[in-house]
Amino acid sequence: MLHTLYREALMRRLLPFLLLLLAAPPAYAGAVLVMNSGEASLSVIDMTTRQELKRIPVLREPHHNMLTPDRKELLVGDTVGNELLAFDPTTFELKRRIPIADPYQIGFSPDAKYFVVNGLARAQIDLYDPATFKLIKRFPLKSMPSHMAFAPDSSAVFITLQGTAKLAAIDLKTLSVRWIAETGPAPAGVLWNQGRLLVANMGGDDVWVIDPATGKTERKIRTGKGAHQLFPSPDGKRIYVNNRIDSTSVVLDATTLNQVTSYKLPGGPDDIEFAPDGHVWFTLRFVHKLAVLDPATGTFDTIAVGRSPHGIFLNAKATPK
Amino acid sequence: MIALLDQTAGWLQESLLLPLLYAVGLMEWEDVSFGWALFAVYGVIQVIVTFALCLPLERWRPVEFWPDSKAVAVDILYTMISRIGLLPLVTFVLFYKLQVILNGAIADQGWVPPTLERLIPGLLGQQVLTFCLYIIILDFADYWRHRLSHVFDWWYALHAVHHAQRQMTFWSDDRNHLLDDIIGFIWQTLIALLIGIPPMQFPLLILVLRFLESMSHANARLSFGWLGERLLVSPRFHRAHHGLTAAGQHSLNYGAILPWWDMLFRTADFSRTFVATGDPTAEEELATGSYLVQHTTALRRMLRELTSRRTA
Repeated sequence: MLHTLYREALMRRLLPFLLLLLAAPPAYAGAVLVMNSGEASLSVIDMTTRQELKRIPVLREPHHNMLTPDRKELLVGDTVGNELLAFDPTTFELKRRIPIADPYQIGFSPDAKYFVVNGLARAQIDLYDPATFKLIKRFPLKSMPSHMAFAPDSSAVFITLQGTAKLAAIDLKTLSVRWIAETGPAPAGVLWNQGRLLVANMGGDDVWVIDPATGKTERKIRTGKGAHQLFPSPDGKRIYVNNRIDSTSVVLDATTLNQVTSYKLPGGPDDIEFAPDGHVWFTLRFVHKLAVLDPATGTFDTIAVGRSPHGIFLNAKATPK
Repeated sequence: MIALLDQTAGWLQESLLLPLLYAVGLMEWEDVSFGWALFAVYGVIQVIVTFALCLPLERWRPVEFWPDSKAVAVDILYTMISRIGLLPLVTFVLFYKLQVILNGAIADQGWVPPTLERLIPGLLGQQVLTFCLYIIILDFADYWRHRLSHVFDWWYALHAVHHAQRQMTFWSDDRNHLLDDIIGFIWQTLIALLIGIPPMQFPLLILVLRFLESMSHANARLSFGWLGERLLVSPRFHRAHHGLTAAGQHSLNYGAILPWWDMLFRTADFSRTFVATGDPTAEEELATGSYLVQHTTALRRMLRELTSRRTA
């Protein structure tokens, strides 16, 4: 009798906790979506355990991603599959597929008036209506349009032409080419920084500082062989430059453009995401891994993903299904 | 195993290919260079496996002994030209470019370009199964290309280069007139575009097909048994196709990888044993001439066939 009473009392106390456990969501404190460009899949990584939860098959070759201006959809461009995949950015569930020719780099103008697609293989820059994804205008520019940066007032988009060592400025008011300027060999990343454009020359070892009004080069900053991509830190004070040949990530002061520090990341660092806990997540193209860097110590862990991981999307509140 | 090959390709890309591209000022191709590295790794493995299997087989159980193997030397040259020159050019450059143009144009119209996975949604993510289906479809297409090359006189004039060899070895698979090879590649490329083979997989598929085809040409007394021969083309089965009495328009056993199509279309003959090879109707130059002589002789024969048809 005493035992029964004791058991009931215990159950009454434990029941709320048991119910809470049953109702609790999966133990994901955020997740990362990785575009495995060399094997037609996306890896979903649990940010806490740093384990791969699953792989989502796609048609052919996913490269980059972009949130829609209302942040309700995450668009992933499958270049060879010629389609955009629209995911729920919290659950990573596929919501719809949109046929689009060769979506390599994708981006929305800050005023959300244009959706810009760089077709690297087809040597075309397409401007779409973001609401309908209907083509508004095509700019067949030679060659290999690679990365893009927008003027903050949405007056222009600047695109590196990797195959012809040029940077093109497309006027988004008149929908015409404003200027085409010389860059270093094989320009890749381009970033708007404090009223200037920074262009990473992958065929060289430097970043060029270019006047967005005229296209004239003002300065050249050496970062490392194969300078590829540029990313501003969340506080805007630093710029990370990833160098493909040297396999380094060089950090510049955003104002002076002086080198602050650099990290050796073997395996070809490419795209970056910044986690709220301060860690920096890199895709390493050649070793088919992610690197999770602690910038305070310079140490990093790696996580195996699919072949040739390229784009990366991090959502600290994601609960993948 | 696949992960190891991927890592090797990644190492090759990072350590050799990219520094080379950087040094010669071609870094704009860095993104696609992983495909080249992968092809190089698989290509080297294919060559090693071909040698490791076929050479001992030919030494262990040869069908024929020849006083000298001079005629084989030209087949080695054919193999080099085809596998180092034509194969990468067609599978990487031509196929990639055609797919970009064609599929982009289809997507511009608001349609999704054709792929096997679109036709059978269950295949999405099943890469090994899809790879096998690609092999089956390409092999089916190749059966008809091969059969038709025996039907048309002008085409067989070119294909006779392949059949004229009396010293057939695993090198003989690539012994094809350049024009015949180009027709074959165009044929396969069109089918590959139609079923949407990924550009990175197409070169690997051709490598797999070519490896199996090399083996079926081996000068080896090798049969896969009653059931095995009905599943996969064996050296014995394919040797019947190269037999002295099978040359020309009334041939048999056209299948390159799978004998299924021969069984289905009633061109299979499993009864023939290890017969002597060659084409008695072919000019001697096609059998023993140099690479250039074989090519010009076959071209002349093709033109003769085409003009005689017009005047008839």
